[in-house]
Amino acid sequence: MNAIHRRHPLRSSSEVVLRNLVVCGLCCFFILFFLVPIVVAFLGSFHLWNPLKGQYRFNGLTNWKMVFESSLFWRSMGNTFIFAAVAVLARVILGLLLSCALHSKTVRFLSTLRTLYYLPTITPMVAVAFVWKFMYDPQFGLLNQLLGAHINWLFDARYAMTAIVLLTIWKDFGYAVVILLGGLYSLPTDLYEAAGIDGANAAQKFRYMTLPLLKPTILFIVITSLISYFQTYIPVMVLTQGGPGTQTYLASYIIYDQAFVKYNFGYASAISFVLFLIIALLTGLSFRLSGQTEKER
Amino acid sequence: MKKHLTRILTLVIALALVFSAMACASAQSAILGNAVQYDPAQPVNDGQPISIELWYWTGAANLFQAVADEYSALHPNVTITLVENPWDDYWTKLPLALQGQDGPAIFNVHNSYHENLIGYMAPYDIAVEDLENDFVGVSAHVIDGKVYYTDYGMMTATMYYNKAMWAAAGLTDADIPTTWDSFREVAKKLTIRNDKGELVQAGFSFNGGAQGDVLGMQYQYGQNLFTQDGKVSFNNEAIQTVIQRMKDIYEVDQSGDYNFGNNSGDNFGQGMIAMYLGWGFMHNLLKSNFPDTDFGSFEIPAPSEDVPYAYHRYNGESTFGVNKNASAEQQAVAQDIVRFFLANDALQKQFCLANSVFPAKKSLAADEDILNVSSIAVLANHIDRYIWPGPMPSAVENNMKIALEDIFYNGADISTALQSAEDTCNQELAMGDFVSVEPQYQYAAEAK
Repeated sequence: MNAIHRRHPLRSSSEVVLRNLVVCGLCCFFILFFLVPIVVAFLGSFHLWNPLKGQYRFNGLTNWKMVFESSLFWRSMGNTFIFAAVAVLARVILGLLLSCALHSKTVRFLSTLRTLYYLPTITPMVAVAFVWKFMYDPQFGLLNQLLGAHINWLFDARYAMTAIVLLTIWKDFGYAVVILLGGLYSLPTDLYEAAGIDGANAAQKFRYMTLPLLKPTILFIVITSLISYFQTYIPVMVLTQGGPGTQTYLASYIIYDQAFVKYNFGYASAISFVLFLIIALLTGLSFRLSGQTEKER
Repeated sequence: MKKHLTRILTLVIALALVFSAMACASAQSAILGNAVQYDPAQPVNDGQPISIELWYWTGAANLFQAVADEYSALHPNVTITLVENPWDDYWTKLPLALQGQDGPAIFNVHNSYHENLIGYMAPYDIAVEDLENDFVGVSAHVIDGKVYYTDYGMMTATMYYNKAMWAAAGLTDADIPTTWDSFREVAKKLTIRNDKGELVQAGFSFNGGAQGDVLGMQYQYGQNLFTQDGKVSFNNEAIQTVIQRMKDIYEVDQSGDYNFGNNSGDNFGQGMIAMYLGWGFMHNLLKSNFPDTDFGSFEIPAPSEDVPYAYHRYNGESTFGVNKNASAEQQAVAQDIVRFFLANDALQKQFCLANSVFPAKKSLAADEDILNVSSIAVLANHIDRYIWPGPMPSAVENNMKIALEDIFYNGADISTALQSAEDTCNQELAMGDFVSVEPQYQYAAEAK
């Protein structure tokens, strides 16, 4: 037993060298492209910082104070929570419905449908956003033509955020479909056969078998979606620039605006760190929930 | 005799050749310019080969190619490499490139990025007095007695109108409005609604860019944009009056609608609206994007027939910047190109026409070709009554945009929205080094 423990898991020295090389490479990559920028940004959050004009002047907690005192930031955080909650929910529900439909044996052209659903996901967001901008045009837009409505989607505070959420759902639902479809294929068929013999109908099978078994997959989608949606800014940048007024400001859009429009990198860094902490908290919470689910299983 | 005749003939031919060669040489070496002069006969870099880069943003490659071609023809030892970048990338890449040793020796400047560039720029090797003698608006660019860039042209807002709609409404040139009251009456005549009362043609629209219009119209009431202590002033009577009038044009006169198109420039080209207040660059943009739209221009109306403190603000189209971190030899060539550009009326004219801007060069103020451009011509009588507030950071326009959208689309009270925007803007301005040059305006003493 001791001998087994002492034995190196890798067979040859070349494997050890390869392992060390790969691990070192990855470490260097993460240090260079993740850790160093994070540290630099953190230090920058205590400075009046504009790298384009070489300005880097210590200003203590001013940037942090500005973040916590900014009503725009907290309004944007509220918007971000609502945006992320609706988009994640829609992504999961739509993903579940469509993946279950595709999983059905009666569906034909499965590959074609799967490709079609996934196509928006691989299309660049900027391109998609510009096309949707035309669709939202109050005079010539396809959406108003279809609905027979006269809605100024992007400049009416009642619809502007809805317009961004709709675009995001359309763009991203395919991702959930493909992941959940993979999850559905991995479910044990014998369980379903047994449930069928016991007299369970389709709805019961979905409620008591499919959903619980897909829970880890759904949690994975929820976590990755939350992280991604808390960083959304491209549709806002293309469609509304945060307007009308500040109605569609999202937290990440403020970061973009402060860093790359107004060149206040210090302030943008402080906002980034607050957002980072919130995302970390939410992710931790999700993992905790996920862990509890595993224990329950 | 025959021998003498041949000799005389040979001498005459030889003399003719010498004279024509001299004439050619003098034509090539003719000194350009008035106060700022350029002598093409002066060798550059002692005639030794040298390469430099000239950076510019996408949109007018032919202009920069013309500068490079004409200069290289005079100085074949100089190789100019043109480097083009899209607008957004340009303003990130350029300052970073200028920090090192390998940045471009010469580059195109836009004054809205003044703060990020000025630290990397070398002052012009040209006397300020010479620049002032040849160009208007130079004094606003003088920093500690030196000029780092100035304007070759002045761009401002002019009113564009659709000629077909104008005629269809029974309007003639005599109806061109000079006051806001008469403008509102004309706008009403140009508005068309269908049987259901729905807008078919707006008399006037400011949708999707009103901040550019508003930030300038307060000057008509003698109100500067910046206070003497360097803060922005949004929440004042003049701006409130301007915004209220814009609201009234839509809500009282019914000459337009907040939801009738989201981009008044494009909507004007598409034939949805009859009048539109746009900046100079729109002239060429409309011509190229909407060639079927026949349009004319008139000067922005004023509150009364009296000449106001200023009709609007202008923004200068800037001359080249010279990289102070480039090698001494490259800087010398860059300085020489700047002088060549400033002294060369033909190039100045080419740049002004391409951007539809009023020439800053005094010798071109009455140029026929330039004054044939309607959006430029309408400025000719009052060009001195346009004010440049300085290289305003984007925070000013961004915060005014938020205030206007809150007022027009979210139903916010004018004063509350302006105060909120003013507070945020001043907080953001405090992070930079912007200083207004309004006090240097020729008629600054007339301000409230």
